[in-house]
Amino acid sequence: MRDEPSPGTRAALPIPALIAEALAGEMARDPSVLLLGEDVGRLGGVFGASRGLLERFGPDRVMDMPIAEMAFTGMGVGLAMAGMRPVVEIMFADFVGVCLEQMVNAAAKIPFMSGGRQRVPVVFKTAGGCIGSAAQHSQCLWGLFGHLPGMKVVVPSSPMDHKGLMAAAIRCDDPVLFVEHKRLLLSKARDSLQGAEVPEGEVVTPIGRARVARAGGDVTVATLSLGVEHALRAAAEVAPEGIGAEVIDLRSVVPLDMETVCASVARTGRLLVVDEDYLSFGLSGEVVARCLEALGPGALRQVGRLAVPDVPIPAALPLERAVLPGPEAIAARLRAMAVGA
Amino acid sequence: MRPNDPRILRHRRMLEMRAFDEACLEALRRGEIHGELHTGINQEAIGAAMAESLRPGDAVVSTHRNHFHALAKGVPARALLAEILERETGLCRGRGGHMHPFHPPTNFSATGIVGASLPVALGYAQAFRLRGEDHVAVGVTGDGGSHTGAFHETLVIAGARRLPLVVLVENNALAISVGFGDVSPTATVAERAGAWGARGMLVDGTDVDATAEAFAAAMEQARGGGGPVLLEATCTRARGHFEGDPDTYRTREEKRRLREERDPIALHRARLLAEGVGADALDRMAAEVRAETARLLEAVRADPLPDPAGAALYLWAEEA
Ligand SMILES: Cc1ncc(C[n+]2csc(CCOP(=O)(O)OP(=O)(O)O)c2C)c(N)n1
Repeated sequence: MRDEPSPGTRAALPIPALIAEALAGEMARDPSVLLLGEDVGRLGGVFGASRGLLERFGPDRVMDMPIAEMAFTGMGVGLAMAGMRPVVEIMFADFVGVCLEQMVNAAAKIPFMSGGRQRVPVVFKTAGGCIGSAAQHSQCLWGLFGHLPGMKVVVPSSPMDHKGLMAAAIRCDDPVLFVEHKRLLLSKARDSLQGAEVPEGEVVTPIGRARVARAGGDVTVATLSLGVEHALRAAAEVAPEGIGAEVIDLRSVVPLDMETVCASVARTGRLLVVDEDYLSFGLSGEVVARCLEALGPGALRQVGRLAVPDVPIPAALPLERAVLPGPEAIAARLRAMAVGA
Repeated sequence: MRPNDPRILRHRRMLEMRAFDEACLEALRRGEIHGELHTGINQEAIGAAMAESLRPGDAVVSTHRNHFHALAKGVPARALLAEILERETGLCRGRGGHMHPFHPPTNFSATGIVGASLPVALGYAQAFRLRGEDHVAVGVTGDGGSHTGAFHETLVIAGARRLPLVVLVENNALAISVGFGDVSPTATVAERAGAWGARGMLVDGTDVDATAEAFAAAMEQARGGGGPVLLEATCTRARGHFEGDPDTYRTREEKRRLREERDPIALHRARLLAEGVGADALDRMAAEVRAETARLLEAVRADPLPDPAGAALYLWAEEA
């Protein structure tokens, strides 16, 4: 008799275990895939996203690095240019400050500067988002990398996408920044409002296609990462009041799937962008501008942005709550925008 | 026991530092501190040693594990604890939190970015030189931070300019799970000093007497215009990297051994007892310190949290 896994066993998996499955799957499939970073080996990652990989693939393919991000980020670039497929873990997104040179001036520019002749298939894997850790350990920064040309910026939200988008990022021939959210990394598949079931075998989610996480006819909410969970909560809260919110998980900042957003906005005429990154010069303004360009300035009856109001994340929890776009703030904005729906 | 005996004072300082971090642990258990709290338990000897030679005008730029360095620099314990508990009465009005305490009056600051303390300390050192002041800048880092580019670049500039800088490396042999021996190209950090024309010093950072002497010598050289000093103090980390770290990369036995054999307070107590200091007197001192710290925590717990209406304040000078 075989032991069948009881239903729900996989739903109890922590989100990082799903990332580890993707990494293991790709490493097994392609011997050029490597993982390097701080605490990725013996510890299996500070969130557990590489647990078991050192034991399975050995120290030549899973490398614990000293705190020398500039060198090992550049090492990732060199490894990629030399024909390998490195996944470089930069523990928290905030720490890119110390290795931005290699990400921006090397990884993101070399494919272009070489006239398309040099590929740099490196994945920079990092955790962003707020969990009460103050200004230097809370940023998302996907907008920054959306602004700087040359890197795909992939941001998973659902349990499925943590696995599927990681696999796709590794297979991608371009440099990819993969930004996880710490709050999601600390959760289990079954905590998600977006479905807990993720196949044990291979999952590859194409990069660049947004997903309608909830259908609705009155207001389009474009968001990503933990924002999708918050928006789904808010949408459920206002639904009994007759407000239909359509929640779109953008899934990537680069490329930005405006087709899906615009198709929705063309129906609803109302667009709310929810972003845990900073408000100004970022994703929220970009989505609104592209929508207006595509549909014409008359297409929107209502437009709104909820993002961090251009301040670093404060330490004290009541202050952090005040600057984050949580479910209550989203629900309030939906009510205000749906007037006349 | 002579209360003004510097060795007794040293011992008391270590007790105060440990009690301070134990108060933080208690506040954390009550949900009054958020994020990744890093304690310095078992690293008290270094903080206590620093306290003896730091002068008011000197600068200290510290790390994520900064409480003892702040206390050593003379940052008021109440406002420091209030900041760690995210109160409006804290050093930074609850905006910075435990990883980011700033206290301009004592030239104390810290950063949560590993290695990033050192270039800032370099800036203080250059300012002291420009103004002809005989202050010293101390940049603190862990062993992990000694592998960063910032560490190297700081010492290049400090060495070439002979700046009054002490780079203090608290080598607790671990950077989260990564062992110093597994990633360092050299057996010690101190031996790298020659590359930058700095003086390298290595001391057992669990021996408060030896560390106080070494730190004093380092400060004296830097203050006297002798150029930068790289002082490495070896020690151990008794708890996980941060509170909540499952710390599965070490065995229980290993941690027990560290707590029993490399606890700087226990080591110093044994030395004092052997020299004839009475156990009763040391016990009384410990009880006194615990009681004082408990009162401090109670006082801070009564302080208000910041008003959410002010969440976006203090980005610009005119709001301060
Ligand atoms: C640039 C940067 N990289 C990574 C981290 C995450 N991190 C925080 S503390 C730490 C280990 C630091 O080790 P060490 O310098 O030896 O100090 P210790 O924690 O042992 O006191 C790491 C990797 C960070 N804060 N900043």
